[in-house]
Amino acid sequence: MFLAWNEMKNNKLRFTLIVGVLLLVSYLVFLLSGLANGLEDMNKAAVDKWEAQGVILTEESDVNLPQSSLSLEDYDGEGADEFASLAQISSIATSGDNKSNVALFGIHADEFIMPDITEGETFQNDNEVVADASLKEEGFELGDELQLASTEEKLTIVGFTDNAKFIAAPVLYTDLQTVHKVRYGEAAEMYKEQINAFVIRTDDLSNVDVKEALEVVDTTTFIENLPGYSEQKLTLNFMIYFLFVISAVVLAIFLYVLTIQKISIFGVMKAQGISSKYLANSVIAQTFLLAAAGVVLGFLLTMVTGFFLPDIVPIAFNYLDLLLYGIVLVFVSVLGALFSIQTIVKIDPLKAIGG
Amino acid sequence: MAVLEMKQVRKIFGSGHTEVEALKPTDFSSQQGELIAVIGPSGSGKSTFLTIAGGLQTPTSGQVFMNGTDITKLKEKQRSAIRLKEIGFVLQSSNLVPFLNVKQQMRLLDKVKKHNLPSEKLQELYQTLGIHKLLNSFPSDLSGGEKQRVAIAKALYTDPSIILADEPTASLDSDRAFEVMEMLQEITTKSNKTTIVVTHDTRLIDYCDKVYQITDGRLALQTEQAQS
Ligand SMILES: Nc1ncnc2c1ncn2[C@@H]1O[C@H](COP(=O)(O)OP(=O)(O)OP(=O)(O)O)[C@@H](O)[C@H]1O
Ligand SMILES: [Mg+2]
Repeated sequence: MFLAWNEMKNNKLRFTLIVGVLLLVSYLVFLLSGLANGLEDMNKAAVDKWEAQGVILTEESDVNLPQSSLSLEDYDGEGADEFASLAQISSIATSGDNKSNVALFGIHADEFIMPDITEGETFQNDNEVVADASLKEEGFELGDELQLASTEEKLTIVGFTDNAKFIAAPVLYTDLQTVHKVRYGEAAEMYKEQINAFVIRTDDLSNVDVKEALEVVDTTTFIENLPGYSEQKLTLNFMIYFLFVISAVVLAIFLYVLTIQKISIFGVMKAQGISSKYLANSVIAQTFLLAAAGVVLGFLLTMVTGFFLPDIVPIAFNYLDLLLYGIVLVFVSVLGALFSIQTIVKIDPLKAIGG
Repeated sequence: MAVLEMKQVRKIFGSGHTEVEALKPTDFSSQQGELIAVIGPSGSGKSTFLTIAGGLQTPTSGQVFMNGTDITKLKEKQRSAIRLKEIGFVLQSSNLVPFLNVKQQMRLLDKVKKHNLPSEKLQELYQTLGIHKLLNSFPSDLSGGEKQRVAIAKALYTDPSIILADEPTASLDSDRAFEVMEMLQEITTKSNKTTIVVTHDTRLIDYCDKVYQITDGRLALQTEQAQS
């Protein structure tokens, strides 16, 4: 530490540059992680709200909610602690100048999908909806009458709930009948048993017994099969992993160049009897300090940026993730330093002192 | 007991056509309080002799005893530990760490070795070497002679039993060179060290107790002066 610290103190510019590079890399990692998180939330917040372990769908739907069509009578709760019926349909809602994609959730108000109301009241009559609060930011208000695309039905916002987004669209909660009316128009009465899925709460999904042609999928699988979800996640994660590699390589190169420059100094110290281990530890300590400084500064910059970003940027920081990524960044940086250690061990003190 | 003893030490570089016998089978020993000069023309084997004596390289054959321990049998790691404990190197070129000031050069040694000179002794050493005003200076701010004196301080700080100096005065003008030699002489006798100075500057040999001449790898005692 003594050597490492004094060297940095005396070569500020050089080491500031290294910290700068690490700062930028970790900044990018943190922002991407925030973005990945934000996008995930946008897709699955409403699903997280269920606090459910599984979903029952038809086998032929291939874990795709709109493609799954079953009847209220298809499942009676066998093996589940609790279950709830769900009919879902996507649409576009318009009220005056305001327009937004929405996901309509048709539910039974006495079942657990029913969200907490943060403002207004729950839906009691047909065509009343409880909407995700994000619609407020887009200008929608309590009492607004919503015109839906492809139907004559008009819905009224009677209440708001928070964190209810499904595949990037704000959710409108309403009763099953309203969804049927929106979907089938005049024929609604004929299809009143029709839903898309059952959502179940249970400690052990394997106890859940379903009819032939139906299947039970766990919530995680259900989320991963939401359209675009896995692709987005994979892309962003790939970028993050790639940045880990970049930071390791960049730091390895920097440190290697610094080590090469110091071969004769290291050689002289080794001639004197200072062990390779001490010198190697010093390089590791130095790398650790540089990486930690870069990561901490990167984190601060990320927080500042997050503060100033407009709300429509879907960024949400999971501090545990950030901590983990920060640790990984420091760790791979130190790995990059190992490359130089090998050079230090090989330095022949005899060569350094000249003959 | 001899502080440093070599028995039939021989060093061959290369093989076949390119074989060079840098050091012919050599016996050598030195005692406490001796200041020894090794002189010889360029390429005669002076550095080879000194680095083998200091455990920086192993001889092709023969043994080197340092306070009774045969260091040719040891691994580099152990030899490194012995160098730290027993040997102070003063090199031709500066052996200072560029980003440490004079005081920190010594502190670095504290980090890697216990039991160095107590601080009064160190202050005394600074005084003797005339560098007590330079303690906060970095090597780049020191003149060649000052650097060499700091290097000597560094070599002595760990209180080694053997001081090995390769052309310690090469970068100094005559006056400074004589001063450095006087200092080495004083320290050798006062603190009972064995000091070996390799040089081709024959004017320096007046300070030494014994002078060896090395020619084509063959070491021979040239003069032995009465101990003063
Ligand atoms: N690593 C090596 N590989 C091959 N030959 C070497 C090596 N080191 C030294 N030699 C040879 O051994 C001989 C003695 O070299 P050495 O460095 O001991 O000379 P020197 O007396 O110190 O010379 P100088 O006064 O120029 O420093 C020379 O002929 C040199 O070429
Ligand atoms: Mg030489």
